[in-house]
Amino acid sequence: MERVASATPSPIAHSVRGLSDRAIAWVFVAPTIFLLLAINIFPLIWTIQLSFTNYKANRIGREVKNVGLRNYERILTDTDIWLNMQATAHFLFWTIALQVLIGFALAWLINKKFKGNDLWTTIIVLPMMLSPAVVGNFWKFLYQPQIGLFNYIISFFTGVEPSSFQMLGQVNLAPWSIVIVDTWMWTPFVMLICLAGLRSIPDYIYEAAEIDRASKWRQFWTITVPMVMPFLMLAVLFRGIENFKMFDLVVQLTGGGPGSTTELTSINLKREAFEKWRTGYASAYAIILFVTVFGLASIYVKALNKVKER
Amino acid sequence: MAEVQLKNVSKSFADTSAITDMTFGIDDGEFVVLLGPTGAGKTTTLRLIAGLENCDAGSIEIDGTVVNHYTPAQRNVAMVFQQYSLYPHLSVRDNLAFPLRSPILKTPEDEITRKVNEVAEILHIPNKLDNKATELSGGEMQRVSIGRALVRDPAIFLMDEPLSSLDAKLRADLRVELKRLQAEMKKTLLYVTHDQIEAMTMASQIGVLDEGRLVQFGTPRDIYQNPNSTYVAARLGQPRINLLPSGLFGENGPQGASQIGLRPENIEVGKGRDAHILRVEHLGDQTRLHLKFVEHDLVTLIDAHSDYQEGETIQISAVDPLFFDAAGSRIS
Repeated sequence: MERVASATPSPIAHSVRGLSDRAIAWVFVAPTIFLLLAINIFPLIWTIQLSFTNYKANRIGREVKNVGLRNYERILTDTDIWLNMQATAHFLFWTIALQVLIGFALAWLINKKFKGNDLWTTIIVLPMMLSPAVVGNFWKFLYQPQIGLFNYIISFFTGVEPSSFQMLGQVNLAPWSIVIVDTWMWTPFVMLICLAGLRSIPDYIYEAAEIDRASKWRQFWTITVPMVMPFLMLAVLFRGIENFKMFDLVVQLTGGGPGSTTELTSINLKREAFEKWRTGYASAYAIILFVTVFGLASIYVKALNKVKER
Repeated sequence: MAEVQLKNVSKSFADTSAITDMTFGIDDGEFVVLLGPTGAGKTTTLRLIAGLENCDAGSIEIDGTVVNHYTPAQRNVAMVFQQYSLYPHLSVRDNLAFPLRSPILKTPEDEITRKVNEVAEILHIPNKLDNKATELSGGEMQRVSIGRALVRDPAIFLMDEPLSSLDAKLRADLRVELKRLQAEMKKTLLYVTHDQIEAMTMASQIGVLDEGRLVQFGTPRDIYQNPNSTYVAARLGQPRINLLPSGLFGENGPQGASQIGLRPENIEVGKGRDAHILRVEHLGDQTRLHLKFVEHDLVTLIDAHSDYQEGETIQISAVDPLFFDAAGSRIS
């Protein structure tokens, strides 16, 4: 009995400074909580507060007036902002669609047991490891109409003159140019998650299906797809949130142009906040984006949980 | 239902040979059990017949047709795997219906419902039909995977130790149930196990495997009474057959006999040579005696109500012993 009792650790703090274990726990957690409050919660609250004012961050002395919901009203009725929203939706839809399709297909191929598939995985994953600034910059060269490899390859397959089109400079092509780069860079991420999903399906399930006389096609649709679906949806969630905030690649490639065809909401927001210095207005804008992405994500997570339960 | 023939089938994985020159036949409506320890090639034999592996040599015939290069689907076999290989994302109902929904069969949906309900009834799981496959207990899962085979009308049922992961009571129940089902439905069934009781109680024919070879094939009674080697003799019977050097009882063995095999019923207590009682085990319906007989340990059964004590000396003699040569082969 006695040995059991002494083996149970007595409250460590007792011998230290008369602090209880609970107090020690707080001491360890405190720095994290402090940082979280300082760089997440406080700015959020401050932003909400600013969104109801006409505050301008470059005019420190100016009197700050409370304008109520006017900032929100102006944003939601601004047709230009709706265009930015549409550009963002277009970008989101196509990047996710392409990344899911190509990512799943690649994962499916890599999952076939062939020699050197580990090497291929490494090669495919490389783009994801580069800095977006670097990626943006070298795609700028690839898209260059006179010397760019991209234009050359397109012309090789279609016969169109390489210098006859500008991926980054033409209104109809620029949105696609950023979709292509984002897809190139982030498809590997979707592939990795799909691969994890595919590898989680045990072989014997396919053997059972083989015995049950299910064709490869039926095995794919009734076993592979449903069992990978939770993983795939998780990948879509990550990519969706990331791309809703897309900034770095677009700044490097088009800077929002030509005109405002590639001006995604985050680019537009940055212009309002740090070029026009309409801090109050930009705060309201940020809150609207935050609520949108948060709302969409929560609906999506609910759907994801439902799929997982199935 | 159909008959299945294996002719000189061999299979090896990399450098290890799993099955060597295996030949046997399963007649229509028969219940054949392959018995052997882990690694004897039992599962590989099933997988070869199912078409999940291809044999290196020999031929496999189902209903007179060589099926060596047929896919599992073309062979029309049903298989119950050792792990419950249910489709985890589907309900029990959909798991059972899965083989019926094969486009090859074109089963109408009301026919599927009827069959699924029927099989669920047989396996005592009708109230679990709408559960997800992962929400079942181990016993229920294995019953569902047996059910997934039963809904079909295949050439042969293949079962890979389907009861080994169940608890003792459920195992005993399902053993009886399976035998009854097979007998009623006149199904051809090949069953793999390392459990001699399953083999003895269910089989119409037993094949004993040793390191990828079929060492004896016959009815349970025949294999029990006429084992062709010490290996086979030791696989059946509880307590195990006692193996002794021949001549200890002064018996006249045939030429070349170097060992004798004595099952408990071959040992007569009451006359003959002295043996020392080491331990008495009362099992209720029977009593086991552990004996020391000239340097050798023996186990035998006696009447449950006898009152022998440890340390006593009794007389035993051998009745109709089995004779084996030095290598363990039977001589008669």
